[in-house]
Amino acid sequence: MKLITKFILIYLFVSLIVLSIAGILSYHIIKDEIDKELKWEFLDRIDRITYLIEEGKTFDSNKLNSDENLHVESLINYREDNVRVTDTLIWDHRLEQEERNVKVSAYRNIGDTTYFISTYGNMIESDDITEAVAKILLWILAMQVIGALGIGYFVSGSLFKPFRSTLKRIQQFNLNDRQYLEAEPTNVTEFADLNTFVEEMTKKAVSDYKNLKEFAENASHELQTPLAIAKGKLELLAETELTAEQFEYVEKLERSLKKLSRLSESLALLTKIENHEFKNSQEIDLSEMIQESIESFREFTDLQHLSVETAIEDHVKINIHPVLADILWTNLYHNAIRHNIEKGTIRISLQKDLLKISNTGENLSFDPELLFERFKKADQNSNSIGLGLSIIKRICDQLGYQISYTNDNGWHSIEIRLKSVKTG
Amino acid sequence: MKLLIVEDNTDLLDNILTYLKREGYLCETAQNYDEAFDKIMSFTYDVVLIDVMIPGGNGLQILRELKSAHPETGTIIISAKNSLDDKVQGLNLGADDYLTKPFQLAELQARIKAVNRRNNLGGTEIVHINEICINTKTMEVTVDKAPVDLTPKEYQLLVYFASNKNHVLSKQTIAEHLWGDYVDHLDNLDFVYQHIKNLRK
Repeated sequence: MKLITKFILIYLFVSLIVLSIAGILSYHIIKDEIDKELKWEFLDRIDRITYLIEEGKTFDSNKLNSDENLHVESLINYREDNVRVTDTLIWDHRLEQEERNVKVSAYRNIGDTTYFISTYGNMIESDDITEAVAKILLWILAMQVIGALGIGYFVSGSLFKPFRSTLKRIQQFNLNDRQYLEAEPTNVTEFADLNTFVEEMTKKAVSDYKNLKEFAENASHELQTPLAIAKGKLELLAETELTAEQFEYVEKLERSLKKLSRLSESLALLTKIENHEFKNSQEIDLSEMIQESIESFREFTDLQHLSVETAIEDHVKINIHPVLADILWTNLYHNAIRHNIEKGTIRISLQKDLLKISNTGENLSFDPELLFERFKKADQNSNSIGLGLSIIKRICDQLGYQISYTNDNGWHSIEIRLKSVKTG
Repeated sequence: MKLLIVEDNTDLLDNILTYLKREGYLCETAQNYDEAFDKIMSFTYDVVLIDVMIPGGNGLQILRELKSAHPETGTIIISAKNSLDDKVQGLNLGADDYLTKPFQLAELQARIKAVNRRNNLGGTEIVHINEICINTKTMEVTVDKAPVDLTPKEYQLLVYFASNKNHVLSKQTIAEHLWGDYVDHLDNLDFVYQHIKNLRK
């Protein structure tokens, strides 16, 4: 629900409660006022009749009949002056229902005679008052709704404009752009505070992110020099008088150093891909690249007595940075060789929008879902560093290619949905 | 052979010097930009090794100056960055070779020899080791004047051995020389023996 809708709803809800209370109060005040007026009116009537009798006017029964609401009677016994006001229900012949009436009766001593004067009349019905009050309140409510909508429109339109603009910028914010958020200036303190906060925060995020990325890249470069030194020292050590056992240690150290340097290189590569440093793409003929690479890896495949079966369509071209293309394919192919079995098979199929590479191999010892995660490998002791597939995945993500893994009867397949360049 | 090594890290410099001096090379060093600039301007060298990141300037600038002053000098770039762009830039500036840290000293020596052969002797040199003759231009190998048939890998291996003839080489070093980074993906390096066995025959 939008803030402004909520605001209007709350406003109307409160208005409704206030108006209901106002309605009940108005009803009672109006009713009291009218009743009071009516009583005064009847009392005044009695005074007038008293005056007329004093002047010598007489009220006979005939006349009384013509005015049903007035009753004047001379009494034989003396009664003291007295006025009584009562409510009563009287049957109305015309409306055929009982109506609430007010009746004022008085005893008056005029000359030697005591007169009983009584008059009554219809009170205003409470239904009528209720109706009138409700009508008035509905008008007020209607005007308030119109007012609230008007204010709401204005508020959401111009008053909240800086807020919405900031919100939109926050939604579009992307750390990879390395651009902090610059908000529109506003004279509303709260919005200005928000803008300042967002600006400071994104500035900090951008600079932290940059530092982190730079650190990852620099750290891997800085590692290479000490590694080179260690490697050189080992080579020099190997040339001194060493026993076979000592030489074996040197060799193992060399392998570990090599692995270390590869690890830092691969991490640097991942960082570079994530940093979008391979942006300049060009048309690469994937079919040609794959065929050439199969030839150059012939030695490795022959070594494991692997047979390579291919179904490669000619001239499948994709837009990609040449380095990425090379890394992508080399990693895929190496993976298929490395995790293969002796005398196994590799099947490569390349179509316009699909690259599929399958190889025979041992079953996975972990959840296939984790296959593309960093440092996931079948054998923790192997020489592999466990970053190959994660690099492949990262490249596919960047190019918007779908990548999936399936295992079927000892066949491991990786499928990549390509977005090839239309030819012809 | 007279060499200049431009490298700021003392330990790494020490390694290179120790290894190369056994070959009887005359090695001079420069540990920052100004020193390197002075030396390339004042003397001539057969081969100059240049680290890209040196204090006081960029190694590639040294390369530029060197190529304009002494275009005949062989140059090898050493860099911690294994990026294609850097490699292309270095080679475009006229470097003869590009080596990424961490490198093998044996590899460095083999490259120095190759660069020196190409530059000084017009690319032709017959390497003699006892009864073996290697013609590095025509890639022909003869033993006691009888030509030997070798696969490209076997030839590469033989030249590598010849370049490092008085050194001990581990199979890791040899594998890296022959297959470069692809060696990463091999768990077992015993196939090196296979090639050596073939060579011995």
